[in-house]
Amino acid sequence: MTRQIDLEADIHRLLVEDDRIAEQGVTVHHRENVLVLDGEVESAQRRDEICRQISEHYPDLEIVCDIGLTRTQAPAEVEEIS
Amino acid sequence: MIRIAAVGDVHVDKDVEGRYRPALEQLPDQADALLIAGDLTRHGTVDEAKCFANEFGGLAVPVVTVLGNHDHQSDRQDDVTDVLTDAGIIVLEGTATVLELNGHRLGVAGTKGFGGGFAGACASNFGEREMKDFVGTTERYATALLDALRSVQCDALVALTHYSPVPDTLAGEPLEIYAFLGCYQLGQAIDDAPTALALHGHAHHGSERGRTPGGVPVRNVAHPVIKQAYNVYQLLSGTVDTKHEELVNV
Repeated sequence: MTRQIDLEADIHRLLVEDDRIAEQGVTVHHRENVLVLDGEVESAQRRDEICRQISEHYPDLEIVCDIGLTRTQAPAEVEEIS
Repeated sequence: MIRIAAVGDVHVDKDVEGRYRPALEQLPDQADALLIAGDLTRHGTVDEAKCFANEFGGLAVPVVTVLGNHDHQSDRQDDVTDVLTDAGIIVLEGTATVLELNGHRLGVAGTKGFGGGFAGACASNFGEREMKDFVGTTERYATALLDALRSVQCDALVALTHYSPVPDTLAGEPLEIYAFLGCYQLGQAIDDAPTALALHGHAHHGSERGRTPGGVPVRNVAHPVIKQAYNVYQLLSGTVDTKHEELVNV
């Protein structure tokens, strides 16, 4: 269990500290040999780069990528602050 | 009334240019000003700042920002600020600005802020030099925010930070990292001034709504939280609007 958590921590640091990624908003869950990534990023290139870098560093892990793209439509509602 | 559009954590680089622009072009119909709660770039480089300025500059409404921790990554925050300022974007750090909108004066006071934690789980200014430096930084940003909030005369006062002033809007983040996402001292500063609304980002997995202990509404406008280009908040709903040069409630 400890090793599993250490791996999640190592991968989380890779996601933040690798200049090609620099994502703090992606969560990492490791179950058996499957790594599940969750969160939202600003472009498809960034999502693909995350999976590419993790695959390079951890070639034996199966990656499930649930990372979505942030939406950029204009809002339809206004919130009144009181 | 005043309508404020707000978003944070847009992390602009070349691959993002053009994504926000269609929604930003609609801003004059949606809001009177755009406030951006930091993490404008990925690594805080000058090139990324230029991308941000291309995407969020030249709009038909005033744009006010603070920097986030990502904007400090390359230690070029002063150059980033210069690029944005040259593009007509207002960058606040322990400072405030007043926008005259619809005959009202909107005050915006901003700082990046810093971590430190919240009641029951906060760092103390005690012990090793490294820990005292950490909490000293927390306190310095909070004091700068309070000074900025108290420096303006306006009809509606908004606090703009990157780090969170309350734990409420961190719900959804792991409890273990709350101390790296905000600090209670920012909330104290907001409560010690006549603040109408506090906006922040940074907590991508947090939630949108909260309040300070003193009752000031807090909104986490991190882009992954609001799930659209920007949110719009309405202030001074019961007031009479006039043209810009005919200020009321001054």
